[in-house]
Amino acid sequence: MPREKKKSYFINFVGVLAVFLLLAALFESNILGSRTNYVKGICTTACYTIIMVASLNLLTGFMGEFSLGHAGFMSVGAYASAIFTGFLPETGIPDFLVFLMALIIGGIAAAVAGVLVGIPALRLRGDYLCIVTVAFAEIIRVAFCNFDITGGGRTLSGIRSLSNFYWCFWVMVVCVALMYMYVRSRFGRTVTAIREDYIAASASGINVTYYKVLTFTFSAFFAGVAGAIYAHYMTAMIPTNFSFMYSSEFLTEVIIGGTGSLTGSVIGAAFLSALPELMRQFSTYRMLMYSVVLILVMIFRPGGIFGTWEFSLARLLKKGPQKKKRTGGVVHE
Amino acid sequence: MALSLFLQSLVNGLNQGAIYALIALGYTMVYGIIRMINFAHGDFIMVGSYTLFYTVPLMINAGMPAFLAVFAAIAVCVAVGVAVEVIAYRPVRNAGSMSALITALAMSVFLENLAMVLFGASPKSIATIFTLPTFQFLGATLQLKYLLTLGIGIAMMIALQLFVKKTRLGKAMRAVPQDKEASVLVGIHVNKIITITFAIGSGLAAVAALMYCATYPRATMDMGSMMGLKAFIAAVLGGIGIIPGAMLGGLVVGLIEIFVKVYIAPGWYEAITYGILIVVLLVKPAGILGKNVGEKV
Amino acid sequence: MKKAMSILLSVSMLASLGIGQTAFGEEEDNVIRIGVCAPMTGALAVLGEGSAHSVEMAVEEINALGGYQIEIVNGGEPVDDASDSKQAINAYNSLMADDPDVIVGTYNSSCSIPMAELAQQDQIVMISPGSTNYEVTEVGDYIFRTCFIDPYQGTMAAQFAKEQGYATAAVIFANDDDYSNGLYEAFKEAAQENGIEIVYEGQCTTKDTDFTAQVSQAVASGADMLFYPCFLDTVPLLVQQARDAGFTGAIVGGDAWDGCSTTGLETAFNNAFYTNHFSYEDTSETVQNYVTKFTEQYGSDSLTACAALYYDAIYMVYEAAQKGGGTDTESIKTGMTNLEFSGVTGSFTLNDTGDPVKDVVVNTFEDGACKWYMTISPEE
Repeated sequence: MPREKKKSYFINFVGVLAVFLLLAALFESNILGSRTNYVKGICTTACYTIIMVASLNLLTGFMGEFSLGHAGFMSVGAYASAIFTGFLPETGIPDFLVFLMALIIGGIAAAVAGVLVGIPALRLRGDYLCIVTVAFAEIIRVAFCNFDITGGGRTLSGIRSLSNFYWCFWVMVVCVALMYMYVRSRFGRTVTAIREDYIAASASGINVTYYKVLTFTFSAFFAGVAGAIYAHYMTAMIPTNFSFMYSSEFLTEVIIGGTGSLTGSVIGAAFLSALPELMRQFSTYRMLMYSVVLILVMIFRPGGIFGTWEFSLARLLKKGPQKKKRTGGVVHE
Repeated sequence: MALSLFLQSLVNGLNQGAIYALIALGYTMVYGIIRMINFAHGDFIMVGSYTLFYTVPLMINAGMPAFLAVFAAIAVCVAVGVAVEVIAYRPVRNAGSMSALITALAMSVFLENLAMVLFGASPKSIATIFTLPTFQFLGATLQLKYLLTLGIGIAMMIALQLFVKKTRLGKAMRAVPQDKEASVLVGIHVNKIITITFAIGSGLAAVAALMYCATYPRATMDMGSMMGLKAFIAAVLGGIGIIPGAMLGGLVVGLIEIFVKVYIAPGWYEAITYGILIVVLLVKPAGILGKNVGEKV
Repeated sequence: MKKAMSILLSVSMLASLGIGQTAFGEEEDNVIRIGVCAPMTGALAVLGEGSAHSVEMAVEEINALGGYQIEIVNGGEPVDDASDSKQAINAYNSLMADDPDVIVGTYNSSCSIPMAELAQQDQIVMISPGSTNYEVTEVGDYIFRTCFIDPYQGTMAAQFAKEQGYATAAVIFANDDDYSNGLYEAFKEAAQENGIEIVYEGQCTTKDTDFTAQVSQAVASGADMLFYPCFLDTVPLLVQQARDAGFTGAIVGGDAWDGCSTTGLETAFNNAFYTNHFSYEDTSETVQNYVTKFTEQYGSDSLTACAALYYDAIYMVYEAAQKGGGTDTESIKTGMTNLEFSGVTGSFTLNDTGDPVKDVVVNTFEDGACKWYMTISPEE
């Protein structure tokens, strides 16, 4: 790894740590008084939403295909991990290890689903792929409504409460960092090449299907991790939670943040998961305002708020605030 | 007994299929011309249904046949459809299919929540629109309004097909998706054509709303999203953009759903419908009636 | 890095909100602070609306009595869960920020279960007015409810069927919903015990509008009654399609039918029954007082069993505080345990899990209007 890059990673890590300490201080010092748990809850929600949105952005921004069934993978992860922790007897295993194992089980289950869905579905592109992802997510939902082990259409309750904010924060940091590294790696560049011109890419010897399925699986894995956090935060869930509308919410957050910008995904997800809470006073009107905001963003900033721009503390320190434009943003025809 | 249940299921399947087909015609019409999935199309049906909720009693009080209320619904739907197109869709048309899709989704959320604010959250029961006799046939009950739904569906399909293939305007409509630039060169006003397409699509939604409300007399704010998704699946199954395909797809989806519910696995019927869609798309990506077109390099 | 800014952004916004409204200082001795949660938006918004009115009414009445006073936190308004479990948790946390003594909420079982887990953890009394899933109160000793539980209602429906002399039954239930599954399973079990044969079991989903496939099979099965334990929005569709398909037997449902529209289907709704918490015609003073007052102040559009349950829940808190001798959570908990209560939705004693055991009212329809049919008491 070049020194420059190492240094930049280090500076960014220090930044993340600073944010973490700030939040921890905020929650522990009791400045927020009785509101601590409320804010903490919203931040935990933001954590898994960020993972979801960033993982969907891998598909949408970097692979250039959109999925309207990401909540399906999330539910696979959520149910797999919940069943796992349910079967695990209350032995002496520390909670943190159980949580970690649950995350990995959730991720792997979703990744397997990703491979199974990806191999047939990724032969299609554009609108058709989008429809097939909806269909798969609906099939998963119906299946969970029919299996006894997933509650058979009833609320699966009594899941251990393991997702505390501090753990979730670091899981989120690790996930986003891994996705960032993937995008910047040889694989990521290949995928970008496929997005830009898949005919040219396959002509130059790239196994298009392999890379697409790989990215799809990678993305599904993180959706599964997010699902595991969700399950152990909510402690109860029902398959109808993971509906088509939930999937479209994630896609919306990706587009609003900016396709091809992980920064955008993170901010978009954090902001949009806090937005309904901030608008509680307007109760009946809040979804109306939400949709108007969405339409306005699409009209005036069709590439999303951040476009393809990425935030980097290292760059900020070195050059001062300066927008670095990458060429070749996402343009779909 | 078994025969009558089979016949009854056939009748029920065709009826539900005909309603899907009517909605699917609107999807396919819009997609065929501007290559955009109009997720708000289901919500145009919701708009039409609420219009019927208010206008049907007016018609009955005025002593006129209730179905004439459909003209009010057509007017409202066309107005809403054209407004949506001009205000929200036109500005994003060149920004790529992803922006268009999100705008359509947002529009759908907007219309649903607007309906909730305007009409309240409780479901509205719509007065009886048709009072038609029912027949008994080999133990199965056949309602005449089922035949009417199917008949209207077929008539609409034929009319649309003739319109698109034979008239000048229809030819212009077919030219736009093939090559936008060339269409402009030969003097086609692209924006106008697209607006007309939306007007026709929304008008179709109003007719679909009439038959939907005659069968399921209830208007709710979220009725469009579920019906819309199913009808859309039907349009894709038949080959999206192809008018007879929408009819075929609708009937196939309706029949599959009913027969799966009766004979195969009642709890899995949605999964099986989606499963069949996936299989069809993998074998024949352009749908049952679609032609596979190679990619231009 | 990026997450940094985002979270900072949202937190700082929320923090500013939080600091603005510091919690109530020292609590006055005779004030019970109640946090109310209900579905104010979403598919069941009509229930939330009525509940908000009921809560307002109950609070006015109690405060006029003197003695313990009631204060509803969040400015007197219920917080919204939108029938969505994610929002329910946030709603609960936002209520807790106002430091209430008791939580009254919420309606959907899928929302109440995660809320109950948190309430038990925080050791705060929670009374669910409308969640009928039996698991809700099993979460712990701080959780109570006003309504009867799913298994109980399903059992009572079967008992009703037996008393009516039905020999065979068909069932159609939504397979993606707690309520429907719960009633179906209990009904099935109790029907077998009561010697009623289940001749057809059909499934649908909560979003379905077409039931022709299921009802045609129910007709073919020749059942005496059709049990349809689903929510009020699809009830008119099912009843119409069942009658169109030639089903002449009784159609029976649960308390989620209460408030369903019968417009245009007056004859179809003949010979239809549903089990409920109370009847609007009950001549007892409590019920009449509630029904007249509610109708006068807010009209009858949002008058449902759910609203009555919220009304009773507030009164239960009041009586529990009197019995327990204090307005703090612990006294109310002591008071709630095995509370004997008499209200709009019946007279009952809470059992050891915190569930009421009470009579079930069966309502029927006459010219589309809801009428009392009979009251059945649990068989010992």
